Amino acid sequence: MKRSAWKLCSLLPMALVLLTAPAGAMHIMEGYLPAPWAFGWMAICIPFVVTGFLSIRKKTAREPRAKVLLAMCGAFAFVLSALKIPSVFGSCSHPTGVGLGAILFGPTATAVLGLIVLLFQALLLAHGGLTTLGANVFSMAIVGPFVSFGLYALLKKAGAKPALAVFTAAALGDLATYVTTSIQLGVVYGNFLQYLSIFALTQIPLAIAEGLLTVVVFNVLEKYAKEDLRALAVL
Amino acid sequence: MGTDRCAYLSRLRRVDPIPKVWFALAALLICVLSDSLGVGLFTLAALSALNLILGGQRVGDLLRFLKVPLAFLAIGGLTIAIRPIGEAEALWAFRLLGRWNWGITTENLRLSLLVCGKAMGAVSAVYFLSMNTPMTDLTLALERLHVPKLFVELTELIYRFIFLLAGEAGRIRTAQESRLGYQGFRRSLGSMGELLSTVFVRSLRRGERVFSALESRGYTGALATLPGQYVPGRWLYGLAAATAACQLLILLAERRLLP
Repeated sequence: MKRSAWKLCSLLPMALVLLTAPAGAMHIMEGYLPAPWAFGWMAICIPFVVTGFLSIRKKTAREPRAKVLLAMCGAFAFVLSALKIPSVFGSCSHPTGVGLGAILFGPTATAVLGLIVLLFQALLLAHGGLTTLGANVFSMAIVGPFVSFGLYALLKKAGAKPALAVFTAAALGDLATYVTTSIQLGVVYGNFLQYLSIFALTQIPLAIAEGLLTVVVFNVLEKYAKEDLRALAVL
Repeated sequence: MGTDRCAYLSRLRRVDPIPKVWFALAALLICVLSDSLGVGLFTLAALSALNLILGGQRVGDLLRFLKVPLAFLAIGGLTIAIRPIGEAEALWAFRLLGRWNWGITTENLRLSLLVCGKAMGAVSAVYFLSMNTPMTDLTLALERLHVPKLFVELTELIYRFIFLLAGEAGRIRTAQESRLGYQGFRRSLGSMGELLSTVFVRSLRRGERVFSALESRGYTGALATLPGQYVPGRWLYGLAAATAACQLLILLAERRLLP
């Protein structure tokens, strides 16, 4: 009798976590990381962002149109991440757009666009923060896109069906982002497995949903917008 | 969208953005660097009060925004407070699945409160900036702080396009919902995929149109804009120094009282 009561008690915090997690679990909030970690992650991001910035500068110098197009893509990423995504449990969350961005624009440009989008999210919506910008850029605009892009390129080379390649890239890129976030939280506050298990419970269904969603988006784009995608080749 | 509306209604709107940036950043950095619950709570109280008094923001608005990060904080605080503790002395403990000893120790509880207080202080400092400075002023301030021109331009363009695309996405969503879209999981995915791809294609075409419009008006690769007419805000540096002094005093007092 007594043991079952304890079990019930142990389920309570888990249930609480499950209810609240999907709402804002993907960005590490402002002031949550201690200063050395916050600045450390910023430093790690610098080479990626600088490389991306230089590649954008080279492209815009050659083709001025690219600047406006890139800005549109950045705005699209912001709007995408503000939309509610349907999830399997009936709860809602927001897509990361990691896979879509990486496949469409390449991982280096995504790092810069991701930085700007995360800056806007921190200021306008209080998702994420200024001090945790480095950590969030690293998980969402660097690790996720690189994983997605690498997987997509690899699977396409291996001759997989396009839908399968897009699904795997988007879903695993999404998961890589969450694993990175739990590592970032775990190395600071210990208990990495606890973060990972919480994220696994809520994020695996979300990653699958985002993977399916990205496949739908790609199918529609393939069917109706081949010409427009060719315009992206200048990016 | 978000804090943007408040920023345009703020009483500090016409004040030079650069002192506002330094003021908020100083409070934010001291709050994060000092690593103390007292400083966090003080920053939360002081910056929220200044936001209401100087910026003339409504209490309801501020509370609504302060609630946003609470979901993250609830999970974050709980995972720090409740964790495997081995055989340590605990305030409250239970056996997880009958095997592992989990619970709350004084030390973990203190760490959890510290992190929550510090984070809320930091959030209120950022709100002071974002609820009193329109984004266009901030991007001009970035330029005056010697951030690369291309980066600033991308930021400005993205800021403008966000509202265009968000409006479009909202209209499409209304249209879909009134035609039985988003019914059930499968159809939700379909509707959402169509919405996203349509917005994406339209944003590409719109980008082309914007570029043609710019080019026909003599665009040579740089968007030149005039800075706004600002009221000088040097008094904010004084306020920043006073806030920093209070924060440091509280830090010293806390270190002295709690060994």
